[in-house]
Amino acid sequence: MTTQNKPDIDILKIREILCEKKKEVAVSLKTCAHCALCADSCFLYRCRDNAPLYMPSHKFINSIGTLYKKKGKVTRAELEEIREIVWKRCVLCTRCYCPLGIDIPSLIALARRICRSQDVVHDFEKEKKG
Amino acid sequence: MIKVKQKDLKIIVRDIHDYNYNQILIVGCGGCASVCLGGGQKEVDRLCAEINLVFKAEQRPGRATGYTIERQCHPLFIEELQQMIGQYDCALSMACGAGCQYMAELYPGMPIFPAVDTVSIGIDRDIGVYEERCRACGECVVGYTGGVCPVTRCAKGLFNGPCGGTNGTMCEVKGNIPCAWVEIYNRLKEQNRLDDIKKIRPVMEWQNQYQRTLIQDR
Repeated sequence: MTTQNKPDIDILKIREILCEKKKEVAVSLKTCAHCALCADSCFLYRCRDNAPLYMPSHKFINSIGTLYKKKGKVTRAELEEIREIVWKRCVLCTRCYCPLGIDIPSLIALARRICRSQDVVHDFEKEKKG
Repeated sequence: MIKVKQKDLKIIVRDIHDYNYNQILIVGCGGCASVCLGGGQKEVDRLCAEINLVFKAEQRPGRATGYTIERQCHPLFIEELQQMIGQYDCALSMACGAGCQYMAELYPGMPIFPAVDTVSIGIDRDIGVYEERCRACGECVVGYTGGVCPVTRCAKGLFNGPCGGTNGTMCEVKGNIPCAWVEIYNRLKEQNRLDDIKKIRPVMEWQNQYQRTLIQDR
């Protein structure tokens, strides 16, 4: 997926989606104690040699967290980075567990929804081409 | 993964025409249907454009809108439709049969039509080339058939084959498909396990198939 010939990012649309779950995102970001207990519940984290990039907390903080902190004002390149996090490092199996009750899958799903709204989606065709 | 194939556009449009629905919501699935290039966001956008072209050509007031959720088989993701679904006359699901049925269950007042056919559980041979490997019969026997499924790969689903109609190494039902039991024989021979093929296995209990619910109790 290239950035060429793509329309500008619709920041208002991103904000509109963020607003729907604003409280949930804000509370989750505030609540995360960085305890890393969610890591062990992620099978991708475990099968990728416990790489911190695959920790569920890292994934939601660097996707929806980034979007929230920047109030949706992101570039296409930044959105494409987020796409890599929410698609390549998460399969949304919904098995991650947070002892503090953060609903990580719904936050990742929200980040994906924002990416989709800007036509920044994972290209499965490209993935298979390698 | 589950493989889906888009239905013929004429069939999809016929369903909508039959009931004179004008506002159509096309719902994609970000799971298996996306991976097999059958019902993800790209495919939703394409179908949307095609249906809108049909509407335009027929000078109908209708309009199709596309929306893709992460998975249609999970409550966490499908509830996203709650806010918007009431604005439409009907919905076209581009998920597998499970996703389509789940959406119909959650929104019983909304007519849901499948825009794809669920074809198989299969492997990715190449981009867009998928081969069926499993029919989810619920009683896997590939341990004694050398990893070749007789339910899926044998046209007759024989558990104690071959049938006697084997055409060389090919299936007598469809000539361009290898006989599953020849493959099973070769595989077992390679593994020095030909004794396995001589054992008579009980046939699959196909009668009275009922809906299965799985509870992982570990």
